Amino acid sequence: MTGDVLGPIVLVCLGYLLLTNLTYAALVLVAVVENAVRRHETASQDYEGLAVSRFTIPVSVIVAAYNEETGIVSAVDSLLGLEYPELEVIVVNDGSTDETLKRLREEFALEPYQVFVRHVFATAEVRSLYRSADHPNLVVVDKANGGKADALNAGLNIARYRYVCGVDADTVFERDALLKGMRRVVEDPARIVGLTSHLGIAEDPERSMAAPRGARPIDGRAFMAYQHLDYLRAFFNNRLAWSRLGFMLCSVGAFQIWRRDVLEEVGGYAEGFTCEDIELTFRVHERFLREGRDYEIHCLPDNVGTTEGPGTVRKLVSQRERWQRVIAETVWHYRRMCFNPRYKSVGLIGAPFYVLTEVIAPVFELLSIVLLALATALGVFDLVLFSVMVAAIAFMNAALTASAIYLEDLQSRTYRLRDLVRLLLLAPFDLVLYRPFIVWARLKGSWRFLRGVKAWHKFERNVRAPA
Amino acid sequence: MDTLVLRVAVVVLALSLPAWMLLSLLVVLGRARYEHRRREPDARRLGTREAERLVRRVSRSPRTEWGKWRRVGALARLEQAHHPAVPRLIRLVLADPDPRIATAAIRTLGDIGDEWAIDVLISALHKGIGPRSRVAAELERLAPAPGEKLVSLLRDWNPAVRFWGATLLGPYPDLGESTLIALTWDSDPNVRAAAVETLGSRSGAAVGAATLACLGDSEWFVRVHAARAAGHVLGAAAAPTIAQHLSEERWWVRMAAKDALRGLGTDAVPSLLAMLTHDDPFARNGAAEVLQDIGFVDFLALDNPESPLLERIYEAGGEKLREAALARAENVPEQGVVAA
Repeated sequence: MTGDVLGPIVLVCLGYLLLTNLTYAALVLVAVVENAVRRHETASQDYEGLAVSRFTIPVSVIVAAYNEETGIVSAVDSLLGLEYPELEVIVVNDGSTDETLKRLREEFALEPYQVFVRHVFATAEVRSLYRSADHPNLVVVDKANGGKADALNAGLNIARYRYVCGVDADTVFERDALLKGMRRVVEDPARIVGLTSHLGIAEDPERSMAAPRGARPIDGRAFMAYQHLDYLRAFFNNRLAWSRLGFMLCSVGAFQIWRRDVLEEVGGYAEGFTCEDIELTFRVHERFLREGRDYEIHCLPDNVGTTEGPGTVRKLVSQRERWQRVIAETVWHYRRMCFNPRYKSVGLIGAPFYVLTEVIAPVFELLSIVLLALATALGVFDLVLFSVMVAAIAFMNAALTASAIYLEDLQSRTYRLRDLVRLLLLAPFDLVLYRPFIVWARLKGSWRFLRGVKAWHKFERNVRAPA
Repeated sequence: MDTLVLRVAVVVLALSLPAWMLLSLLVVLGRARYEHRRREPDARRLGTREAERLVRRVSRSPRTEWGKWRRVGALARLEQAHHPAVPRLIRLVLADPDPRIATAAIRTLGDIGDEWAIDVLISALHKGIGPRSRVAAELERLAPAPGEKLVSLLRDWNPAVRFWGATLLGPYPDLGESTLIALTWDSDPNVRAAAVETLGSRSGAAVGAATLACLGDSEWFVRVHAARAAGHVLGAAAAPTIAQHLSEERWWVRMAAKDALRGLGTDAVPSLLAMLTHDDPFARNGAAEVLQDIGFVDFLALDNPESPLLERIYEAGGEKLREAALARAENVPEQGVVAA
């Protein structure tokens, strides 16, 4: 009797796992082509010319900072050090309760100035504006707390240039990050409205970025290494393929380039969602496809920087729970796009893909784990079958991970070989050592989405080595 | 059911385990090969047979995207080796209907920087091969500089070509002045904007008159370039006219006027003070903001904080301008006080 009930459920779960992994494998094949094309493009690109050309499109970089005292100075330093002909850096202190503003004032010799700005987007009260005596292209906005979207909108009100690049205050950037990002844009600014690029992850980004490309270490702790693998899979197996197939679903918050007129047209960053990045990407797709306009949103494989990853399980769960919530919120909000031919590949492939692999995933993942163990314990499956199934899932996952590592190394040659080998060896154990935390976070996120929770639950920043 | 599940699991394992092993091997071997090439540049030296193979590859017109990029890669390697067939091959690649491939060939032309490369790039600009902005970027970094050859672009029938001709003449102050002045009356507003922007780096009465005339253009982006150009060309003489544009309906023109007045420094003060009583609040606070930026507010706040003029500026700029000025004044160390 138990076998009659458990058996079909296990089969359904197995079917789900097979379907998702086959979808991922298909995406990897597309990603291989996209990566190869971008690699050739990069090789034939003249970055030196782009870096000095007056025809390179100027960019306003906007950093939203809330309680970022540990990393804000390095993040702003790395932005001011970007090799780019013309850019301005706008840091928006979103009502921090720590010493973020004080550190900025001390480090960059800020002086209060009054600047009359356009009020394109309504935001929480702007208290004061500061300019740097040392860096004429640095502006700091001190405003009352209103959330990340509100802070980015305040930055947009001040931005002077046609393209804006929203970045996170916990990320340290490569010197050529903006050149790499904008290289595609300058080729076709009329069509390319949005773009993101690959980011690495580390517990202490400054320390990691101190090493040159090719010798850069990956955090020694397996916990951080698995997060690194997660990022690699997300960028190289998924986003590259989405980009090629015309349904880039998420221009990541840590590095998102947008054409400012498009942001103004769609109403800027939305405050009604847990995070702003996925929703904005969906909103741009929805608007442009509904109106039948020609546009592109891309993800590039170039490594543009390193962002700070949660250093503990609790912080990781808090972050991933939030990601799960925002995906569910966005997919639910734009549910009319699902399977709607009017929205082309975004509606026919992208949105259903999110439903299949993200929204309903936690339920199936939990069922698979519990029922597989239960079925084995009750003797519905024997131990050999259980072991073979677990090994099959683990190595399917490991093969997908290895392809992401391969694509990343082909493109950027960023990390030390011995660290890559360590990642390859860790990959098959992802299922048992790392995935359970993610399943738990996703379940928690789904539950909170159903309860309508919108809180940010920002994870506490890691303790970093002194400069 | 057990048998079915087992079969599926075994098939998946039989596929994924070797795939993981193979990909891992590819990572290690690929990286080792890359490191070897990096350490020994001779490993990349082009032999005769290799060069012939690459020439054949560039001469073909592949249909797949992968093939097209391999073609571009081959061209780049031949160019690095200064192969004599490169000029002929570049013309072939430029004819590729895919603009991205043509763009890659354009970048190669920029690297070569020869007289014939200039001619090919100018021809690409005329014909619209590849993005014109990329062609222009390559033309600007060429040595020898294209100079005189750019003037012909100003008389092209296509406004996009005239636009780039006017833009590219920026670094050549002795070329095409009369044509550029004529182009400030062009039917295409982009051409007018480019012409007035380029004139902004020159001098003379005729140029100054042309930039001032463009301040009354019907298109706002022409007025943006005209405001900046007039400031550069005419200096303080243009300040009263530019200051009037602080009350423009378009935000971007007001911003350009502020930039231009800021650039004039203290020469702009009389015109800015006159704007403090303007009916338009945008004009008033714009004038106050520029007075703050050029240091006039700080000078008054330190030298004569009770000055009625300073009070007028604060009134025009609002409470936050006053707060910011007072905060800055507080941070200035008192003169004559020496630290112990």
